[in-house]
Amino acid sequence: MDLLREILQTLRNNRLRTFLTGIAVAWGIFMLIILLGMARGVLNSFENNNWAKTSNNISVYQGVTSRAYKGFREGRGIKPEMADMEILEQKNPQHVEKVTTYSSLNNTNFSTSKDYITVSPKGVYPAQGKRDDIKIKYGRFINEADLNYKRKVIILEESNAKALFGDASSAVGKRIKGYDLSWLVVGVYQHDWRTDVYVPFTTAKQLTGNDPYTWNMAVEIKNVSTMEDGEKAEKEIRSTLSNRHDFDPEDQSALYFYNQFTNYLKSRSIFNILNISVWIIGIFTLLSGIVGVSNIMFVSVRERTHEIGVRRAIGAKPRHILLQIITESVVITTLFGYIGVVLGMIVTQLIAYLTADKGFLENPTVSLEIAAEVTVVLIISGLLAGYFPARKATKVKPVEALRDE
Amino acid sequence: MSEIIIDLKDINKTYTGGVPLHVLKGIDLQIEKGELVSIMGASGSGKSTLLNILGILDTYDSGEYRLDGVLIKDLTENHAAELRNKKIGFVFQSFNLINYKDALENVALPLFYQGVSRRKRNALAMEQLERLGLGDRFHHLPGELSGGQKQRVAIARSLITQPSLILADEPTGALDSQTSKEVMQVFRDLNKEGMTIVIVTHDPEVAAATDRVIKIEDGLVV
Repeated sequence: MDLLREILQTLRNNRLRTFLTGIAVAWGIFMLIILLGMARGVLNSFENNNWAKTSNNISVYQGVTSRAYKGFREGRGIKPEMADMEILEQKNPQHVEKVTTYSSLNNTNFSTSKDYITVSPKGVYPAQGKRDDIKIKYGRFINEADLNYKRKVIILEESNAKALFGDASSAVGKRIKGYDLSWLVVGVYQHDWRTDVYVPFTTAKQLTGNDPYTWNMAVEIKNVSTMEDGEKAEKEIRSTLSNRHDFDPEDQSALYFYNQFTNYLKSRSIFNILNISVWIIGIFTLLSGIVGVSNIMFVSVRERTHEIGVRRAIGAKPRHILLQIITESVVITTLFGYIGVVLGMIVTQLIAYLTADKGFLENPTVSLEIAAEVTVVLIISGLLAGYFPARKATKVKPVEALRDE
Repeated sequence: MSEIIIDLKDINKTYTGGVPLHVLKGIDLQIEKGELVSIMGASGSGKSTLLNILGILDTYDSGEYRLDGVLIKDLTENHAAELRNKKIGFVFQSFNLINYKDALENVALPLFYQGVSRRKRNALAMEQLERLGLGDRFHHLPGELSGGQKQRVAIARSLITQPSLILADEPTGALDSQTSKEVMQVFRDLNKEGMTIVIVTHDPEVAAATDRVIKIEDGLVV
């Protein structure tokens, strides 16, 4: 406490110099915080988009075999079947949570007495709502009962509901016409850009003919956290399907797999690189500040040679002088560093406010954890910046220092 | 018999670097506790070098220096600092006060290096300043004090650690004759209380105010 009082007095005595030195450090930290905040914002926006949120998914599409297998020729088309869905769930309980699919119906008109819309309805399972990241505003989404009873129920997007009924909030419970059938509106949803109309998958299947095939399967996987887990889950699914459809499990083109989980992990590693780059750039920016502090401390030691001589004459030991110069440096870097941190946080909050709901940056602010890391960086910087000038100060002989006017 | 506080035997000092300069050529000197002594000599006679050696600010090449019975030779920087702090009070020609510290803080500074609490060292500093008639100048910066007042602050600082010895280097060199007399009176009063004081000067009037004058000529006591 005493030492700190002593140092604050010295710094007050050299206000302009202290201020100018501090600015360089504050600027370095300010830039580091802004960069970290930006990187964070990009990462947050990546983490929170629908693609990341539904990353535990492997999509399977129809394909053509590229190898002969068990007496079958190559070039044979393989199509997933509806029955595969249940079998995948049964045979791979460790990694498969749920298998769903969807179908797209041909364009058609849906109408009320007021207006009509032209859309191609999507035949879906209940899980599709989450996968498409829609928000139900009124009513509900497709449920299991709708599927089991092949109900003619429909979910509309808000603007379509408004067009058809004049008021989206009154749409639920009303009926609309399409495919010469009457459909009950059970829900209205919101989404930034989707305008799909959702109907139960089983109902849609009835409209397109009851063949056993589907063009795609969405396999929701579980118990995966690493690349290896994701690859293993994919391999298990491929192996089950290769038994069912008699194709070589190593044949990559028999069925086309899109492993969203492993792709997500790969993209995420890019963000780690981004984060590391930001730290490197930030630290180097800060380094110029530290060199500045060190330089000024050298000047300060030179200027105060006589004072150091007086202090030595009246009993200051070399370690007192060392401690004083180093602490001065740490106080300058930490104090101004924090000014940089606070300004940086204010600016990142401002950016967060200005870019809210813009999508490309989400909450570009730094956490307290980073602020703590930055504190450690600041103290180390101060120690480094002060050490060499302090060493020089202790090397001055009292008798020579006293002669220095 | 009085105790010897300063005991120099055949002290030699040569400045190297460039042409070697043999400044002290075998100084023998004894000063007893409670003496008020002046060391006189023309400039270049070696009196300042002698003072630096006495004050453990500089080293000597050969001979033996005992301060209060302690052999001052080959000391570490830390040990030297500790002895300076506890045994010696310095008074300089140019006062050597720290200009951004007020009188009280300047006087208290030596105790800071002893780790004495702020409260205690301020109390002791006030005592010393009052003793020297500066009871109303505690919070004045050196720039706001007259030369005589500055020197009295410096004397208060030299006294605060209750040293065995005060070393004064031309303490009146920067002062007018009236103020010089006042400062010398302060030294005489302190000496009456039992303090050993060694004053380096080239001013005969100052020397005349001391009990014993030691003359240095060409690196030797004459």
